[in-house]
Amino acid sequence: MIKNKGLIASYIVLGIFSFLSVFPLYYMFCGATNPSIDIIRGKLIPGTYLLENLKTLLDNQNLLLALWNSVKNSVIVTVLTLLVCSLAGYGFEIFHDKYKDRLMSVLLIAMMLPFVATIVPLFKMFSKMHLINSTAALILPTISTPFMIMLFRQSARSFPHDIIEASRLEGLGEIRIFFTMFIPVMRSTYGAAATVTFMNAWNSYLWPKIIFQSNDSITMPMLVANLKGGYFVDYGMLMLGVLICTLPTAIIFLALQKSFANGITGAVK
Amino acid sequence: MKKLLAVALIALMALTAVFANGAKESAPAEKTNTLTVWAWDPNFNIPALLEAEKIYQETHPDFKLNIVENPSKDIEVKFVTADQAGDYSTLPDIFLMQDNSYQKFIANYPGIFTTLDNSGINFNDFAAGKSAMSTANGKHYGVPFDNGAVIMPIRTDIIAKAGLTVADFDGITWSQFFENATKVKKATGIDMLTTSGGSEIVLMILQSAGASPYVNGKVNIANNAVLEEAINIYARLIKEGLMTDYTDWDQYIASFNTGKAAGLIQGNWIISSITAAQDQSGNWAVVPLPKLDGVAGATNFSNSGGASWAVSSACKNKELAFDFLKTTLGSNTDLYDTLLVNNGVITTYLPAAKSSKYQDPVEFFGGQKVYSDIVSYANGVPNCDFGSYYNDIRSAITDAITNVVQKGADVKAEMKKAQEAVEFAIGG
Amino acid sequence: MTKKLTLEKRQNLIGWAILLPATLLIFIFCFYPMLQAILLSFKRGNNASERWVGFQNYTRLFKDKVFLECLFNTVFYFVIQVPIMLVLALILAQMLNNPKIKGKGIFRTMIFLPCATSLVSYSMIFKSLFASNGFINTMLSWINIAPIDWFNKTWPARFVVIIALVWRWTGYNMVFYIAGLQNIEASIYEAATIDGCGAYKKFTKITVPLLKPTILLTAIMSTSGTLQLFDESVNLTAGGPGKATMTLAHYIYSTTFENTPNFNYAAAISVFILVCISILSFIQMKVGDKRD
Repeated sequence: MIKNKGLIASYIVLGIFSFLSVFPLYYMFCGATNPSIDIIRGKLIPGTYLLENLKTLLDNQNLLLALWNSVKNSVIVTVLTLLVCSLAGYGFEIFHDKYKDRLMSVLLIAMMLPFVATIVPLFKMFSKMHLINSTAALILPTISTPFMIMLFRQSARSFPHDIIEASRLEGLGEIRIFFTMFIPVMRSTYGAAATVTFMNAWNSYLWPKIIFQSNDSITMPMLVANLKGGYFVDYGMLMLGVLICTLPTAIIFLALQKSFANGITGAVK
Repeated sequence: MKKLLAVALIALMALTAVFANGAKESAPAEKTNTLTVWAWDPNFNIPALLEAEKIYQETHPDFKLNIVENPSKDIEVKFVTADQAGDYSTLPDIFLMQDNSYQKFIANYPGIFTTLDNSGINFNDFAAGKSAMSTANGKHYGVPFDNGAVIMPIRTDIIAKAGLTVADFDGITWSQFFENATKVKKATGIDMLTTSGGSEIVLMILQSAGASPYVNGKVNIANNAVLEEAINIYARLIKEGLMTDYTDWDQYIASFNTGKAAGLIQGNWIISSITAAQDQSGNWAVVPLPKLDGVAGATNFSNSGGASWAVSSACKNKELAFDFLKTTLGSNTDLYDTLLVNNGVITTYLPAAKSSKYQDPVEFFGGQKVYSDIVSYANGVPNCDFGSYYNDIRSAITDAITNVVQKGADVKAEMKKAQEAVEFAIGG
Repeated sequence: MTKKLTLEKRQNLIGWAILLPATLLIFIFCFYPMLQAILLSFKRGNNASERWVGFQNYTRLFKDKVFLECLFNTVFYFVIQVPIMLVLALILAQMLNNPKIKGKGIFRTMIFLPCATSLVSYSMIFKSLFASNGFINTMLSWINIAPIDWFNKTWPARFVVIIALVWRWTGYNMVFYIAGLQNIEASIYEAATIDGCGAYKKFTKITVPLLKPTILLTAIMSTSGTLQLFDESVNLTAGGPGKATMTLAHYIYSTTFENTPNFNYAAAISVFILVCISILSFIQMKVGDKRD
């Protein structure tokens, strides 16, 4: 009886939170399917104006290019981040000693300076390297973050050391152990890390804006900013743009969330 | 093992992609027939560029514009960054900049501009107040584009319910305005005005009497009697329920689109947002804003917003940029006719304003010749000097107004605080 | 000489080798610019007129009323928002870790959605919800509470910022807790159930202690995120009314790009934030980062 009460309470709490969380998506959907003037007037029922909004959006902006650029940039950043940071996190934890612990604390400082303060020096650096306008300038400063390293370091703490010992006895190399033992077992962490990295890369605005100079490099957040940049805002078009900009992260999450919900429990024993 | 291979492969591919792109360098340095331009509104200034390109191509068939869309704030951020890093190579040839930003950029980042005095453009052909905004020490930095004259669009159907007509609001003083607005409120329960962003309307009133907040190299806020009067008007409008100030721009647009207000005071570029409510067609009229009572130099005219074209110091072919601007946006009246009809761009180029297109009645505004009226308002706008500190002054005045209206603070004391805040901010 | 490294030395070397790429990247792309920012904060002027001024930019901080107000706002957000958000995230994660709950995937995705939502729509929605005639005020009128002018009053505006922050980032933190909870074996909970432990006891006695590494991580992340808060201040309230909701990072941005530029002073504010977060994180590391 008591158990059921707890369960019902859980459902209620989860239901309320889900409702609150989903509301904006519904709002965007209503916006994307209504003409601008109806949105301004507060209509909150889905309409039939989706195709018209899509047509204005396609006429106005290079939607497909922006989508492609965003996907490309975010995937590259995510793959490299996971590789570089998980290797480092593994190194920091599995081979930990007091020097590595100290280094970790030092690295953490990197996430404590507001980004605005480093924009100019970073830009100067890439301008000297003749890398302005290049994907390299976009991703190099973003792939290694202390947060991701620490995430993998903290997770590696629960990685059973006997697996490593056993593998070593079998004669597996350290790198091999990392790729064949650690990565599969740490699926849940990788799933969470991939979602978050992808999301950050997808939504990043200021740095790409500064580093890219041509129309060919437009990304989804830039596209959305352009939609709001004029004297007159077409809210139907804007909300459709915003909806298209939001969906990929949501889809990635939906696809990956299974992996970090069924992580280590099955793999170890 | 397969997974391992896959991961390694993807990583390798990603790395190649990165550095392959890295090799792609910016455009070759030789003289080209292409000009890169940064602008921000695909319904307003970008069509102007496309149209100008078409006109210029008639005489220069291999000419091309490379238009990059960037929100105006981002254009400024990119220029600041490039200037600080000392690398102008990434800048465009021509760019659009808000008039309010010119003085700040000329004072702090003079290296980003090419002055236009040798361009052959006759700046006397532009409205004097407008071209002054992008002029410093007698040098011209911008080719004026759109007109920022302030208008007061009002709902004829709503004021009619209070027995009032457009004439009761046309060219009046603030005291007459309060009288009429109160009648409208009593008769209909509807606010006479709606606004967004607090200080904006105060600054418009300030400029309408030419009362500069920056005089002879000094901040002139604390003892600026016109400013005090303007703040009092704002506070009274709010207090007497004649105006609502929406923090959010979208709510502001909604307020007049949904008939929650009988009017507004804004730069004329707001027209495209007003006419979006097609069902209100015929119910609007445009008049100038009220003028201050008993203030020397007070007028019914002010300015808000607007932008001008600049040539950057990184321009690879300055002769071409000069010639392009001169023959199109700097002198072609047909171009401005097209822009008026297609995009509602109201010019500050005086010869263009004489065109017959400006005499056309506009149905949405009950057949009023809105465009020629706005041009005539623009000619009456007094100069108002913010030094190179527009944003600092605006921010301090916003704080003052907030404190006066929300906390009932004393106007004089708040003005003194605002003066100190600006002096502190610009004092390094 | 290098004939045969001891196993331990070899492993130690491998350890260093695999953390090298990440470390190098951080040193080049974070610490080098950071060093420049620190140097900048002890100077004044531009290019040719640049000169050393010692701590002048720092002493200016405490005479600057706008800075002090932004500092207060930022600290206020930090103190109120971080604990609420982390506790909520933990509770939600714990609920979603219950094997008896059905439809977990859907719940998880929905609760995660806010932080995936693009900033533009998120701020538009909050602005319209809390508008003077918005949904929240309509709800208040149902229970006979007078409407509140949320964005024009100091404390209500700060309150909206906190609500928005909690709404946006709870799901984000929950993700890490869910991932972390997977590493706690279900058998521990089963044993606790057999021992007659209630949900609350399980939460405080099992979840929290075993999740400590992850909690430390999210605490440090939220600390640094909140003290560098920028998006909400710019997009939701524009720092207003007055400067009542403006954060330090927003102030840095406006001294750099909007107002009369003062790069040296902006750098000094940045370094101030850096020092504050470092101290807080150091304390958190001391308390939380022990290997048992």
